[in-house]
Amino acid sequence: MKRGLLVALFASAGIIACQPASQAVKQEKQTLSAQAKTQEKVDKAQLFRKALNAQDKWQKACSNPTQIAPEGVDVAQFIKEMKETIKYPKDGKLVGDWKKGESLALLPKEYKALYGTKGGSRKGNCYACHCGDPRIIACGNIGPSLRGYGNKGIDPKLTYDRIYNSWAQVPCSTMFRFGYHGLLSPEEIAHIVGYLHDPESPINK
Amino acid sequence: MRKVILASLLGGALLFSARAESPTPEQLQILKEMGVSPADVIIEEGREYYHNLKGTTGKTCASCHGQDGDGLVGAYAKMPRYYTDIKRVADIDLRIKSCLEKYVGVDASGKKGRKIIVPLAGYVATLSNGMPISVELKHPEEKRLYEYGKELWFKRVGARDFSCAICHDVLAGKRIRLQKLGAPVRDKLYAHWPAYRISKDKLWTMEDRIRGCYKSFFLFDPDKGKFDFKKNWVKKPPFYIEEIIALELYMKRAANGAKIEVPGLLR
Ligand code: HEC
Ligand code: HEC
Ligand code: HEC
Repeated sequence: MKRGLLVALFASAGIIACQPASQAVKQEKQTLSAQAKTQEKVDKAQLFRKALNAQDKWQKACSNPTQIAPEGVDVAQFIKEMKETIKYPKDGKLVGDWKKGESLALLPKEYKALYGTKGGSRKGNCYACHCGDPRIIACGNIGPSLRGYGNKGIDPKLTYDRIYNSWAQVPCSTMFRFGYHGLLSPEEIAHIVGYLHDPESPINK
Repeated sequence: MRKVILASLLGGALLFSARAESPTPEQLQILKEMGVSPADVIIEEGREYYHNLKGTTGKTCASCHGQDGDGLVGAYAKMPRYYTDIKRVADIDLRIKSCLEKYVGVDASGKKGRKIIVPLAGYVATLSNGMPISVELKHPEEKRLYEYGKELWFKRVGARDFSCAICHDVLAGKRIRLQKLGAPVRDKLYAHWPAYRISKDKLWTMEDRIRGCYKSFFLFDPDKGKFDFKKNWVKKPPFYIEEIIALELYMKRAANGAKIEVPGLLR
């Protein structure tokens, strides 16, 4: 019935839906290139497995069914070790330029929608999980809203540490460890701290 | 092409442009109520291949498995499972690829292969519509892969510390941007896979789905330092790899008892 309806509709639109199967397939008889393909496939599988096995010990501790409570390690020790990974910008400035921070926090398409110019990056992706700038409506609800974050009197160092390595505050958090993984450099994180704390930032205005 | 068909079929009310990210639930609902799934066109293509596609052996799928898929009714409900002829646990993609290469005599590798395998997978899956998923873990290899799949489901890894379970157990029901996260294990969502993805105008098998999800992990080659978009991003696992089949076995086993209703219709 369903198919009948479809076929009738397509026929009336004069569109042929299917290509003849025989045309779609041609034999490829180049043994050499087939061998090369197999080799490439093996390499890709090996590479994928290597990447899968590059799990650090903290990720391993967070891989139990709870996902958010580390297992087999002392939580205080876990936090201490995560804190020790945090590096700061060379000039010691933890609150950078909010405009640069905004461009790191937003995706290129989000940036373009707001300003009509090139900007944004895939590194921060904060709006996947947070809301904040009220102009960005397509925002996630995984983390708390960052709207007005800078007016709460939070120590910027705490914000910096949170972005560099969230697991130093919330072990196994779903917010990934931006600085630890090198997704954001210390200077870039400082700019994002500016974006969150500066009174002129759209987060706080 | 199919988008054009859809548009001309349904007129202005449903016209979504190529760049539209997601048709609204209302649009999906209208399609369902009309009993029209654009996926039916692809299933029809699979049916064509099943009966007419010939390779070096001169056989078609129908030569071995019967006219109108008679011999494959209910097969999809039990997959992935172990097959003695290929000595591997296979999902529907790999099983069809093996038959194409071994028994029909058609090179089914790479992207060209996907163009044949996916419609065939869709067609073969519809032969189990209305039946309950019933994955059994009898063969030792099935048991081993199931355990491996479970491990992978919870494995937090990559430059984003993700796992399947983070998005699909812990955060299920929440939104990543505007996309709601489903719970494939808890809600037995396997029952509507393979699924037609309107935003991509493509039929996707579970292999496509899993590869897409791994892309968000930012897996990387650790021998080349920390994660870098250009230098060492390992975007997706290759098709038919054991890891994908293990995850399928884990998710589909969890969906045991759910009534198969394919192809699903998703955004
Ligand atoms: C994958 C989801 C995710 C992403 C992406 C993400 N966060 Fe978070 N964030 C969270 C969650 C969840 C929390 C709640 C605390 C926790 O679990 O760590 C949080 C907490 C925070 C907090 C503390 C909020 C408060 O009120 O105490 C700040 C600040 C923050 N995130 C900033 C950022 C910034 C800046 C970015 C982008 C560079 C970002 N987050 C990206 C998930 C995310
Ligand atoms: C020369 C015979 C032959 C041809 C041609 C052939 N197959 Fe198969 N097929 C087999 C054999 C043998 C098995 C393994 C059966 C087993 O171990 O239970 C199999 C298994 C399968 C299964 C799994 C069945 C189950 O019960 O789990 C599917 C699905 C399948 N084939 C699809 C196809 C498709 C689609 C084609 C055409 C592209 C095809 N086959 C062509 C011989 C063939
Ligand atoms: C960052 C979050 C994220 C992670 C991690 C993730 N997924 Fe997904 N997954 C999604 C989103 C978002 C969708 C829905 C996509 C859409 O609607 O277009 C999805 C869809 C799915 C679906 C289909 C659900 C349905 O509605 O039928 C399955 C199955 C699935 N993912 C499996 C996995 C597996 C297996 C893994 C681990 C390899 C994984 N996902 C990891 C975000 C994620």
